Amino acid sequence: MSISVDWIAFLQVFAAAIVGAIVIVGCAALGLRLLVRAGRVPVVSPREFTDAITIVTAKEASRAAKAAAKAARKNPLTLAQKRVALVGAYACFTLCGLAVIGGIVIVLLHR
Amino acid sequence: MPSPDRKRAVEPVTLTVVLTVVLALFFDFTNGFHDTANAMATPIATGALKPRVAVILAACLNLVGAFLSTEVAKTISGGIIHEDQLTPEAFPAIIFAGLVGAITWNMLTWLLGLPSSSSHALFGGLIGATLVGVGVYAIDFGVLLSKVVLPALVAPLTAGIIAFCATKVAYAVTRRYDGRPDGRSGFRWGQIVTSSLVALAHGTNDAQKTMGVITLAFIAVGWQQADHPEPMLWVILACALAIALGTYTGGWRIIRTLGKGLTDVKPAQGFSAETSTAATILASSAFGFALSTTQVASGSVIGSGLGRRGSRVQWSTVGRIVIGWLLTLPAAAIVGAIAAFFVVWWGLWGVLANAVLAAAIIAGVFRLSRRSRVHAGNALDTDTAPPAHRPDVSEVATSALAVKVPAAPHPTRRQREILLEKERLRMEAENLQIRAALAAERQERIKVELLALQEAEAREAEATARLDAERRAREADAERERVAKALKKAEKHAKRGKQ
Repeated sequence: MSISVDWIAFLQVFAAAIVGAIVIVGCAALGLRLLVRAGRVPVVSPREFTDAITIVTAKEASRAAKAAAKAARKNPLTLAQKRVALVGAYACFTLCGLAVIGGIVIVLLHR
Repeated sequence: MPSPDRKRAVEPVTLTVVLTVVLALFFDFTNGFHDTANAMATPIATGALKPRVAVILAACLNLVGAFLSTEVAKTISGGIIHEDQLTPEAFPAIIFAGLVGAITWNMLTWLLGLPSSSSHALFGGLIGATLVGVGVYAIDFGVLLSKVVLPALVAPLTAGIIAFCATKVAYAVTRRYDGRPDGRSGFRWGQIVTSSLVALAHGTNDAQKTMGVITLAFIAVGWQQADHPEPMLWVILACALAIALGTYTGGWRIIRTLGKGLTDVKPAQGFSAETSTAATILASSAFGFALSTTQVASGSVIGSGLGRRGSRVQWSTVGRIVIGWLLTLPAAAIVGAIAAFFVVWWGLWGVLANAVLAAAIIAGVFRLSRRSRVHAGNALDTDTAPPAHRPDVSEVATSALAVKVPAAPHPTRRQREILLEKERLRMEAENLQIRAALAAERQERIKVELLALQEAEAREAEATARLDAERRAREADAERERVAKALKKAEKHAKRGKQ
């Protein structure tokens, strides 16, 4: 009885997973950073169960929205710079989406 | 045309296979029922999705995921067990015994509130039953080790490392040093995608295990060829529907988890954890590794928690979770082996005894789930949860307690530099203020001294003038006296002249 383990497959899984995760998280984070730079700070308040969520209450969300609006008013960038940042943000989100679709396609191709 | 003897021999086998399929589908249903929280705990905890939407989305994506890849099913149906060593009469009964072992262990852990894994219980039950019912030679330990045991040990660690790195990246990229809004709230949008990916990945891995078991039973009785271990379309559809139905039915329980305030997952952290979970499960599914999605999701939550600044591991909680994980496979194997002993000793009567045991367990689960039924109407009523067992608490959410994150974490190097610079500037400003105050005080003192000097000078000038006036008065007096004397003398001379 011989036991052989395909260690390369483990490394491939780890490499694929870490590259995929870092690309998706990195692109999403960069996209959000650029969105903030463009003066469009996203404030996404919880939809329901605000009492169960310790992260953002409705009051905190409204305070965050006010802070975001104030930051947008005080943005020192020119209109052109803001536009470039916005385009960059959308490009990052698109890349993020493409990475997700690419991952699913790779799984399908592996069948 | 088969002879009547042959027909009589086939009938119990057919009955056993049918019972195996039904029990396997029930197992798939409970898997979906239990694992909804893995996919949807974090997006609901961070408020990214409404619970109803999250549950429906998870059910649909589990259904789609079941069709996406069948590599894991092939691992079970065509790798772990040597099909050529099986007898068509005995093996379906052994698989049935293995399923009974898995369900019994799941039920026990559910009642006692112990951490467990449905997938490992299934593998444990099957292996234990095969060891007793067929023998050691029937198991391919190479495939078992490389496709089940090692992935089970490595995957949570891998997911944790990936989640740790991803969380660090998410926080580093979005960190702001000027105190303005950082936009991390936007990760909630991203969580809708990542939680959907986790649900999809769950379908590609967990639904496959049941498909693999059913296909294995079909191969054993010769209903399917061993060189084509991929599951049939109706098997894929049945398993996909069972897991989706289970996912939808079990969805409301996770709301209670959140109602108890067990989770404190920030959007950036949740996004990273879910991406890591989905990436690990999808990559593993593509390679046919059969994982426990619960363990992978728990590993990701712990890893992402450690990715936050100042976090500390609660080793006692981690130890409890890991012991539960390590115990599942051998414990389920023992229960599966006991169930297989019934089959070996009593033949068909043993199968029926196992069927009665399975029916009793299913009835027990149903009764208990009705007693603590959670639905839209009482989902928020956290006081009615039964204290003896905690079926409504997600293991993934509980694993978040393994990491303690301080409310005010220590600053980063750059934040420390900025703070030091601010402190230096503040101290410089304070020094300048002190020096200005001292200078003003000195100026005031000089002014006072100057005034005093002026007054002294004025007094001195006055005194001098008075002295001068007195001197002049004295001189004038002296002159007057002198003149008066001279006058007297002149008068005296004038008088003498007259005389």
